[in-house]
Amino acid sequence: MSAGLLGLRRDGPAIAMGTVPLLFLLLLFVYPVARLLSFSVEGGNFAHFEKALTDGLYVQVFLETLRIALIVAAICLVLGYPLAYGLAIASPLWATIGFAFLLLPFWTSVLVRTYAWMILLGRNGLLNRTLLDLGIIDQPLALLHNRTGVIIGMVHVLLPYMVFPIYSVMRRVDRQLLSAAEGLGASPTQAFRRVFVPLTLPGVFAGATLVFVISLGFFITPALLGGGRVMMIGVQIERLVRQFLDWGLAAAVAIILLAAALGIAALLRRLLRGDLTWS
Amino acid sequence: MTISKMAWLGGVALAAAVAWAVPVAAQTAKPAQIVVNASGGAQAAALRKSFYEEFEKRFGIRVVDSSPPDMGKLRAMVTTGNIEWAVTELNVEDAMLAQEQGLLEPIDPKIVDRSRFPANLQGRTHIFTRSAYSTVMGYRNDIFPAGKRPTTWADFWNVKDFPGPRAMQNSPIDNLEFALIADGVDKDKLYPLDVERAFKKLDQIKPHVTVWWTTGAQSAQLLIDKEVVLGTAWNGRYYAAIQQGAPINMEWNQAGIKESAFVIPKGAKDAHWAQQMLSVMTDPKLQGIYANIVTYPGLNLDATQYTDPKIQPFLPTHKDNLSRQWWQDVDWWVKNGKTMQDRWSRWVIAK
Amino acid sequence: MVEPATGSADLELSGLIRRFGTVTALAGVDLAVRAGELLTILGPSGSGKTTLLKAVAGFEMLDAGDIRLKGRDITLAPPARRNIGMVFQNYALFPHMDVAANVAFPLEMRGMAKAAIAEKVAWALQTVDLAGYGARLPRQLSGGQQQRVALARAVVFDPGLLLLDEPFGALDRKLREQMQLEVKRLQRRLGLTTLFVTHDQEEALILSDRIAVMKSGQIEQLGTPEEIYARPANRFVADFIGESNLFRCRVSAVADGMATLTGEGGLTLRIVAGTLTAIGSEIGALLRPERPRILVPGETAGNMAEGEVVEAVYLGESVKYALRLVGGGSLLVRLPFKAGHGMLSPGQRLRLGWDPADMHAVPWS
Repeated sequence: MSAGLLGLRRDGPAIAMGTVPLLFLLLLFVYPVARLLSFSVEGGNFAHFEKALTDGLYVQVFLETLRIALIVAAICLVLGYPLAYGLAIASPLWATIGFAFLLLPFWTSVLVRTYAWMILLGRNGLLNRTLLDLGIIDQPLALLHNRTGVIIGMVHVLLPYMVFPIYSVMRRVDRQLLSAAEGLGASPTQAFRRVFVPLTLPGVFAGATLVFVISLGFFITPALLGGGRVMMIGVQIERLVRQFLDWGLAAAVAIILLAAALGIAALLRRLLRGDLTWS
Repeated sequence: MTISKMAWLGGVALAAAVAWAVPVAAQTAKPAQIVVNASGGAQAAALRKSFYEEFEKRFGIRVVDSSPPDMGKLRAMVTTGNIEWAVTELNVEDAMLAQEQGLLEPIDPKIVDRSRFPANLQGRTHIFTRSAYSTVMGYRNDIFPAGKRPTTWADFWNVKDFPGPRAMQNSPIDNLEFALIADGVDKDKLYPLDVERAFKKLDQIKPHVTVWWTTGAQSAQLLIDKEVVLGTAWNGRYYAAIQQGAPINMEWNQAGIKESAFVIPKGAKDAHWAQQMLSVMTDPKLQGIYANIVTYPGLNLDATQYTDPKIQPFLPTHKDNLSRQWWQDVDWWVKNGKTMQDRWSRWVIAK
Repeated sequence: MVEPATGSADLELSGLIRRFGTVTALAGVDLAVRAGELLTILGPSGSGKTTLLKAVAGFEMLDAGDIRLKGRDITLAPPARRNIGMVFQNYALFPHMDVAANVAFPLEMRGMAKAAIAEKVAWALQTVDLAGYGARLPRQLSGGQQQRVALARAVVFDPGLLLLDEPFGALDRKLREQMQLEVKRLQRRLGLTTLFVTHDQEEALILSDRIAVMKSGQIEQLGTPEEIYARPANRFVADFIGESNLFRCRVSAVADGMATLTGEGGLTLRIVAGTLTAIGSEIGALLRPERPRILVPGETAGNMAEGEVVEAVYLGESVKYALRLVGGGSLLVRLPFKAGHGMLSPGQRLRLGWDPADMHAVPWS
């Protein structure tokens, strides 16, 4: 087998083409992370890391953050997959309208979104009033200012991150494969499950990883919709940086978060590599 | 020779004059604009109508506003030497902390005249007390009509006679004091705070606080939306809501009044003009204009006469209000703030 | 209901109509495919052949008409219930399943037991000469191998009908010819009733038991390759199948079973009269290029023409010449290439002759 088949040949143009993005990455990612790292060990020891990893507050907040990120990713998947499917099979007009709605949260400030959720989900919100009027409940449901509220708010914002990768993969799936499956004796459901779903898994994993990792760093939504009771690690970092000026500890916590995010993303990739070979 | 000698003398004189004049010239070299960083929103408009317009008129330098106050950003600016702000607002504990860390320029008493300020505020070397504000109790006056209104923190804690969900700030500041007052401590004998007693009292109200708010906008909105029926907020926030017709009353009794600080970042390139901005902010007439808009009074004792009599009852510094409130002890909070914040974080998320 | 001409019909199509807006894709198609026969639907793009195939497979609904497979009415049956094996143009192999899983798929869908599936899959892969390739992924196979997998997958469940949708289009010429023969052999061996769709007339002539030539949603002619080639029913078929010279003529005389035709530029042709009786009627006289021969000086033939070589194309065993005829008009001929004779070059004149029986008349209009 020739070298050309085994990998990229390392000739001039390839290196030149790789240099610019590499510099960008170095400048915009590696350098800040290195600076962050230097803050975290500013005392010449790992005291900040030790505190971040042993202090009950930070451990609890880390666990809560992971839990919320997982739940948000799971809900986004459950909602996003059918949504992406709907958009993928919709006519261009309906797809455009769908995307506009999907992207609405991006164009709305977090405060406006929060008020919108209050109007909908608040104690005197539309939903609670309707349910009370219908006699379905006799106490308003606590849908805001707790973990439920945070999850609802985060799912709203992050849904597009799930939908887009899945949608783009779905659009690339050869529809003829579904026809082929049906021609070979599969019911539409079987064709969907056995052929369509496996072929869209790369999009699912891309979306889930994206949503999960972004969730880990969320801080405005949990601060506003969590009623103060839901502490995610981003909120904690923000407090350390802005309020306490404890940049060393903030950096240590941020690095642990970064490592966790990278680790989980790498783990997902590794777990799924065997299954993603067709893409 | 004489001519040359005279010329020499003249040269020396000129040099001396230049040497004397140059620093001034360097200081007064006019920038096209300076950036003043404050809380934004309605406050930005009020600052512009009162102080910024006057500053621009007086010096011909444009004032650009930015927001919000941010300790982290201040420190980042000072440490990197890339200082964008000429002046920034900070809450007073943060300002104290910033002073301690050497992040602030001293106030130049030759430029900033605070002789008509309360004596305790004149001595602040690095902090300009631009305003006072108060954390007050607010409630829905449709839920608690006349005769059934909460007036004390003990009432706030009394969920039997004053039922309904409550909102408080997600911070130990004020809340520890409120708890102690609710538990019977005299409002004028709060400090040093009995922290254990305060948290124990807070445990009682915790299940009834449905929202621990983080932004000023949120605090009033919660009452407007009837998400809660009782809450705390900064007085100006409730005032704005009341102006918009929300059925809200605010209670000055036992409210916590505190200073709002403006500071100059250490090494600010337009420090001279920053001092001039603070000087403009001492003007009682302009302070009056500002207070008329957002009910946060300036602290020049002469400002009251320039304030609309209809606005005065809404000012924390109005004499009827002032006597019923307690002043926050900035020193205590500077010393204990970090520990309290840390403890608060643990307490508020504990089940 | 159209009764098959001979033998029993496996697939019977009657009165198939399908419209897309104002376009009529199928304008009343009747067709009966005999058991074990390979019938080709041949037509240019837009002729409706793909719609016909999709309708049979169940991917396209009909506005009117019936489809019966082995006597069972499948007009409204979903694709999964038709028991039809189909090989798609680009094979449509499932990229996430290995070869064995692809071939096993239709059997699994039929709820067959695992052991039986394994046995069947092994048999099918053996049949297409891919034993031992079961664990490969489709993308690890060559185009020809992918096609064999598609074929194995289409026949593994003993379908009542095999549909081939231009399956050789993606292959290079040599591989295409090889695969054509293999498919034909497999089809014969398994006795599979097969409907084959293509636009390639050469391929159709090689593979088919019968050919149905389609145009504008209708079948223009149905017949064996030989019938289609030698006796096209109309000008379209004559033109579409193979190379042809088509002379526009009028019947000027009919005598002794021979008709005399007069064409443009004073051209006079003699043709076996057959059904041509109406003097003055306008017809097209078809002459395949390989029919004429060079006349030696003094030699005569039933039909003769003289012309000048305009263009010569060397084809290996033969040479194709485009001639300009003396009386005007042009003629395409293919003459055997004999070593030592050399090729005629443009400008050279030659005299050609052919028999009346070499020509075939089609209606002009």
